[in-house]
Amino acid sequence: MRALGVHPWRWGRTGGTSGALVVLTALAPAVPVPAWAQAAPAVPFWAVTSGDVRVRCRLTVGGAFEAVTSSLAGTLQDPASDNVSYPGEFRVDLATLDTGINLRNEHLWHNYLQVEHGPAFRHAVLSDIALEAPLPARAGHHETTFSGILAFHGVQRAIVGEIDLRRRDDRVRVEAMFTLSLDAFGIPPPRYLGIGVRDVIEVTVRFDAVDGETAAEGPS
Amino acid sequence: MNQSEGLVVAVRLAAAAALVLGGGGFRPASAEPTFLHGGRGLLPAPADPTFLSKQYARCTACHYSASGGGLLTPYGRSLSREEISTFGRQEPGGGSPGAATGEENFLFGALSSESPLQLGLDIRPSHLQVHVPGRNIPDRNFIMNLDLQAAWRHDRWTAYGTIGREPMRSGSRPISYEHWLAYQVSDGISVRGGRFLPAYGVRVADHTSFMRESLDLAQDDQVYGVEVGVSTDRSLLQLSVGPGRAESLVDDDGRQALTAAGRWQLDLGSRMVFAASARYRAESQAVPQSTDTGLSFGYAPAAWLTTWTHADVRFQRMNASSRSYILANRTSVQAFRGLWLRVSPQWRWTETDPRGEARRTAFGLDFYPRTHWHVNLSYYRDHLQFTGVRTQTLLAQLHLYL
Repeated sequence: MRALGVHPWRWGRTGGTSGALVVLTALAPAVPVPAWAQAAPAVPFWAVTSGDVRVRCRLTVGGAFEAVTSSLAGTLQDPASDNVSYPGEFRVDLATLDTGINLRNEHLWHNYLQVEHGPAFRHAVLSDIALEAPLPARAGHHETTFSGILAFHGVQRAIVGEIDLRRRDDRVRVEAMFTLSLDAFGIPPPRYLGIGVRDVIEVTVRFDAVDGETAAEGPS
Repeated sequence: MNQSEGLVVAVRLAAAAALVLGGGGFRPASAEPTFLHGGRGLLPAPADPTFLSKQYARCTACHYSASGGGLLTPYGRSLSREEISTFGRQEPGGGSPGAATGEENFLFGALSSESPLQLGLDIRPSHLQVHVPGRNIPDRNFIMNLDLQAAWRHDRWTAYGTIGREPMRSGSRPISYEHWLAYQVSDGISVRGGRFLPAYGVRVADHTSFMRESLDLAQDDQVYGVEVGVSTDRSLLQLSVGPGRAESLVDDDGRQALTAAGRWQLDLGSRMVFAASARYRAESQAVPQSTDTGLSFGYAPAAWLTTWTHADVRFQRMNASSRSYILANRTSVQAFRGLWLRVSPQWRWTETDPRGEARRTAFGLDFYPRTHWHVNLSYYRDHLQFTGVRTQTLLAQLHLYL
């Protein structure tokens, strides 16, 4: 299966100057410009409008179940100078993962993810995202691999995965997939009355993002 | 229950009602009511593919048998309490994984779930009403099932057996429906030998369903044989071969013949399953050689809705009527936790013999008030097309799985 990751992009934009910056520059002689705007040029970003995260857990007896949440948020900014690294992050509230039945949810949240142990356990955060192949400026379909840093269950690890991007107008649809080892993130092997979840789980992230712009630093 | 929960329940009830009313137009009916045969009819087993909606695509999560049905594993018992039943669920955090002498276990906790030996007692007192035009069939009250089930699991080995009584036309007789020994060769490969129901199609709980009875997969159609299972996280292949139907071998009734069966299941998703099945039976003294082929599709678009559809073709070596067909669907709606409503249109016909055509619509209600307790109400409308005979059957059953 193709997987896509979570990435920051600036699809289809040319150059690094945003429209907002152009406007600010043009108005500069006549209009007083706030200090924060002068110091921080506007940075375009893509913001998640809707999406979901699906975690496929393979059972030791065969078959699998999915834990799903739509509690996904984040923004991605323009790429850095290397044109493949994107500042920004994606955040998932793990306490909203739903497996469809209460017993599994209870065990997932409390016995394995331990979401009550603090923010580092409650949320999974993916950052430092980089694409292997730079995103083309044109609209359309783009497939590549990605890498990132995943903070999960109080542990940070590098991950790699596959990503599929479909851009249309000012929107982009993203699907990313990666696998991870529960053991690598300090999660004990899930076992309950003879049934278990295998160590490697598959994570699929799908979301729609809209184009927007913001200042890198705003007034506090 | 708050307002939104009430709305959800109302929507589900409406969906269930729509299913039932919609299914009424199909007017299926079965020819010879199985229920007339000494009460060896309807036997809703705990095995139920309905729980595909809970993302359980494999029988072995909850049952010892790889082809489903029979004694629940400790995990299956836990689910019966925590997820299937209306009442009795433990408060969040009240259940500690792995430990269990809870009420869901044998005889309400007489045996720990950690014991390698697990026991079960299956009892089904039933009330049956059959209406056939022109015939006066008295209502019956009887014990459909009274079986002791046992499983012993240690390391890679599982030994399984049942002992009970089989209701006959008059009286009953002792019977062991299943007894087999299984060995888990590796993570994905298992072997078992003994008496078991071969994997084929959809093992719906109602063994009078055309998906079972018409395919010789009813309650006493187990075979003696050897089965190999190859399981991955997305597929399951089960192949079996043996000298034939167990009861025929025991009774020497002339129906025993080499039987080989195979079923391949592909999990298209956690709530979507496709299965292809085939079975070959050599010619016996009483029955011609036959080959069955079937395709099954299970889909649960929501956690409260499951639908299974099965299509089957049987090829037989006969002078006439060499090919027969079965098309059946079963759709279940969970109105609220512990209450399932179902409708099942079924149709079977034979290529060149109109006498073989029968249609059935089955409506049912399964209520699981608390672990060990299951109430089943089923109503069947059968129509034999050739004669025009229409029969109606009502089954009310208390199912205790202790």
